[in-house]
Amino acid sequence: MKRLTPRRACVVALVLFGALLALSALPAGAQEAAKEPAYREFPYIGSRLAVWAVAQLHLNFAAFILGVPIFAVIIEIIGWRTSDARYDWLSHEFVKLTFAAFSTTALLGALLLFLFVGYYPRFWGYMTSVFFPTYWVYALLFFAETFTVYLWYYGWDWLSGSRKWIHVGLGVLSNLFGTAILFVANSWVTFMMSPAGVNEAGAVTGGVWAAINNFTWMPINIHRLIANIVFGGTIAGAYAAFRFLSATTDEERARYDWMGYVGNFVALSAFIVLPFAGYWLGREIYAFNQTMGITMMGGFMSWLWIIQAILIGILFLGSNYYLWLGMERIPGAERYRKYVPPMLIVLTIGFMVWATPRSMVVTLDEARAMGGTHHPLLGFLGVMSAKNTVVNLMILTTFLSYILYRRANKVSTRPWVKTGMALQWAALGLAAVVVVFYGVYGYFVESIVRIGFSVYQVLAVLAAIVLVMAIDVPMFKGASSTGTIRWGTIAPRSQYVLILLAVTFTWLMGLMGFARSGIRQHWHVYGILRDTSPDAVTPALGYASNVITVVTLAFFALVMFIFWLGGLGEKGKAGAHAHAAPVLAGGSDTDR
Amino acid sequence: MRLPVSVKVGLFSIAVMGGYSYFANSIPQIESRPPQELSLEGGNVTPAQLVKAGEEIFKTKGTCEICHRIGQKGTRAPDLAGVGGRAAKMKPGMSATQYLVESLVNPNATIVEGYPPIMPAVDKPPIALNRSELWALTAFLQSLGGTVEVALADIPATAGGESGAGGAATAVALPGDPKAGKAIFTGKGTCMACHKAGDVPGTPVGPDLSQIAQIQTPDYIMKKILDPKGMGTVANFPPGVMPQDFGTRLTAKEYTDLVAFLLTLK
Ligand code: HEC
Ligand code: HEC
Repeated sequence: MKRLTPRRACVVALVLFGALLALSALPAGAQEAAKEPAYREFPYIGSRLAVWAVAQLHLNFAAFILGVPIFAVIIEIIGWRTSDARYDWLSHEFVKLTFAAFSTTALLGALLLFLFVGYYPRFWGYMTSVFFPTYWVYALLFFAETFTVYLWYYGWDWLSGSRKWIHVGLGVLSNLFGTAILFVANSWVTFMMSPAGVNEAGAVTGGVWAAINNFTWMPINIHRLIANIVFGGTIAGAYAAFRFLSATTDEERARYDWMGYVGNFVALSAFIVLPFAGYWLGREIYAFNQTMGITMMGGFMSWLWIIQAILIGILFLGSNYYLWLGMERIPGAERYRKYVPPMLIVLTIGFMVWATPRSMVVTLDEARAMGGTHHPLLGFLGVMSAKNTVVNLMILTTFLSYILYRRANKVSTRPWVKTGMALQWAALGLAAVVVVFYGVYGYFVESIVRIGFSVYQVLAVLAAIVLVMAIDVPMFKGASSTGTIRWGTIAPRSQYVLILLAVTFTWLMGLMGFARSGIRQHWHVYGILRDTSPDAVTPALGYASNVITVVTLAFFALVMFIFWLGGLGEKGKAGAHAHAAPVLAGGSDTDR
Repeated sequence: MRLPVSVKVGLFSIAVMGGYSYFANSIPQIESRPPQELSLEGGNVTPAQLVKAGEEIFKTKGTCEICHRIGQKGTRAPDLAGVGGRAAKMKPGMSATQYLVESLVNPNATIVEGYPPIMPAVDKPPIALNRSELWALTAFLQSLGGTVEVALADIPATAGGESGAGGAATAVALPGDPKAGKAIFTGKGTCMACHKAGDVPGTPVGPDLSQIAQIQTPDYIMKKILDPKGMGTVANFPPGVMPQDFGTRLTAKEYTDLVAFLLTLK
């Protein structure tokens, strides 16, 4: 496997380091910045599009190499604790994929840097004047990350058996480094959005830490971290789906069916928390600057949230559909089929309410016809109260799907099973009642009070989830089985659902990136450094989505290429492979 | 013939994203354009034009509409219908103009009851209106149920002043037309009834203004015309003689022209 040599990766790391070193000359150069042009023009497509495309691609890859290892270490730990070799194999498989994407990520990062330095010199000079010390931290972390991942990957066999804990520790460590890198990069990006530690003229007053720890830094950190896990999971699922669809043997199909299932499971678990992180971020944006918050939700970006809601609805529906399809391959699941239609109804209604706009930019005539920018009837559903309510209900429904899936082939042998089930239903029902109650009550109180209500709603949902699981786990321990999961027999269209989820989530990330940077409008650094380039206009959604689509396609094409390379390596040494996949056909009843 | 999986998956992905793109292109396409600077150069503005420019700012660069409605009660910010009329009564000792200007540049000084203190100082970035724009905006607000009486001089000179690297501010350029101003001085303004100014003969009821631009700041001169009492009385001259009502008698253009003329008197 030539492409994975440590030497190659060191070269990449050195390129990056060299670039940083070159940049360190910048502060001195900042005095000369006055003579330098503020912008240069990128040929043909313009500087903004060039930076946009490379930044989005870089982010996609970075999310991939940060998200997939989180996912990998989680399943490595599961495999280690349960001594289930399948998980260990899967984990190794994923680290291999990460590995292949490592150098591409670094090169894209360096390219992005060059674009900034070359085409946005004044902007970059300013950022450097604020953030220079963090560049070094970034470079050091990058080194640390690279080497730990190398050790993690190449030490797989060496650190097995009784030394496995060291190996798991390495996996955790590389994730900590990876997360730290993410946090550093986030500080730059969030500073542009909600600058802190500088005065109105942009001069540093509060030190670099104040600039790092700005209003949106932590919320974005958390939001991106969780989103990366979702992303890693969906990409893993899509990879498995691809392998499933091209599999030639039942054994292969069984293995990749299972892999896709695990990927989707991890993605879904993280996805359920993502809306909460999103609300937090939104609230911080309002706290930083009301005008920015309102422009974001009700101004020229209002339509963006409708598209976002549609995508999220598709993700929820898709994952539930996948679980339902998956139940078809579990003997005994017929018992739960009757729950599907009501769940589908809840999800669909939720989807529709969530996609209802609150207020939007309309033409003057449309506004007159409608009697204001708030639709008399729809505006009623468009407020946050309704949206919070339905998203919580959708989360509960998805959780229910999962619970049913879990017990599809199990019959509890506990004597208290009736009580247990009743308690579970009661918990779910109560949570739903609490959610709806506060949702309706929210219409009758001041907005300040209403914001507090969403906390109760979330707490009710989380409490129900914890309680139901606390009952579920002992209730089905040692349960008798109605048959093993027939891995590999899932309908092929379920695999397209997995691909749909990955594509949709990646596209959604592109859209959110546009929201994050578009919200600054004609500012590089909001309120401080104005965009005076010809590209200062923030484009409309149509244009933005075209760019997002093209870049996302490019991303998947690159990833496919990398996966294909990965496949080549395997073909060469089929039998002799050190990490031969454990046989899965016929499945196992330790589903997860 | 069966298509290879990679082709099928590729086509599927393209169809999905193409669908998203198609939808995003089918909705209203709204760009966010960087705001244009308004500078009342040439001073060619009547109050009506000023109000119109103010309305434009209200709807675009000022981004006021994301919080305020006119003639419609919002939950977020007060209805601004009639604000020009009620402004005079809002704060004891403050004229309508003063109150409105304060609302814009120092919004938290007075909080309208029942609303949160969320209004940004609109002369600061990111809205960053300059003085000309604040002037026009105030005129527009006054036109909502009140009389337009604001003058550029009412906008504090510090407003919209500083801004960041490449920030939005431009110095207010208000050249006016000195020739037209001279005509106001001798004609409609009736200044020459009391003042001499260079080659314009006048009476000694008020001070000789022949060198006024040299001894006084533009800011003082502008304010003095609109509010003679408020600026104190020149030594050895009787107080209360200079008329108080030029602010309402002169149009904005006449006023700027007149100031431009006075600024030539060195
Ligand atoms: C982020 C929301 C927001 C924006 C943007 C905003 N305002 Fe306000 N405005 C408020 C709120 C809230 C109040 C009432 C509280 C207060 O007095 O500060 C207010 C008060 C006022 C008042 C006093 C009203 C009265 O009845 O006494 C005026 C005048 C005003 N705003 C004008 C403007 C103009 C002009 C703009 C645009 C340049 C603007 N506002 C932009 C939120 C906003
Ligand atoms: C009825 C007589 C009268 C008329 C008409 C009049 N002024 Fe005056 N003006 C005075 C008097 C008296 C003073 C000095 C006392 C004071 O400061 O109030 C004065 C003071 C001033 C000053 C301050 C001079 C200084 O040295 O500080 C300026 C400037 C001025 N007038 C401008 C004008 C202009 C411009 C007009 C025409 C639009 C005008 N005045 C019309 C009587 C008049």
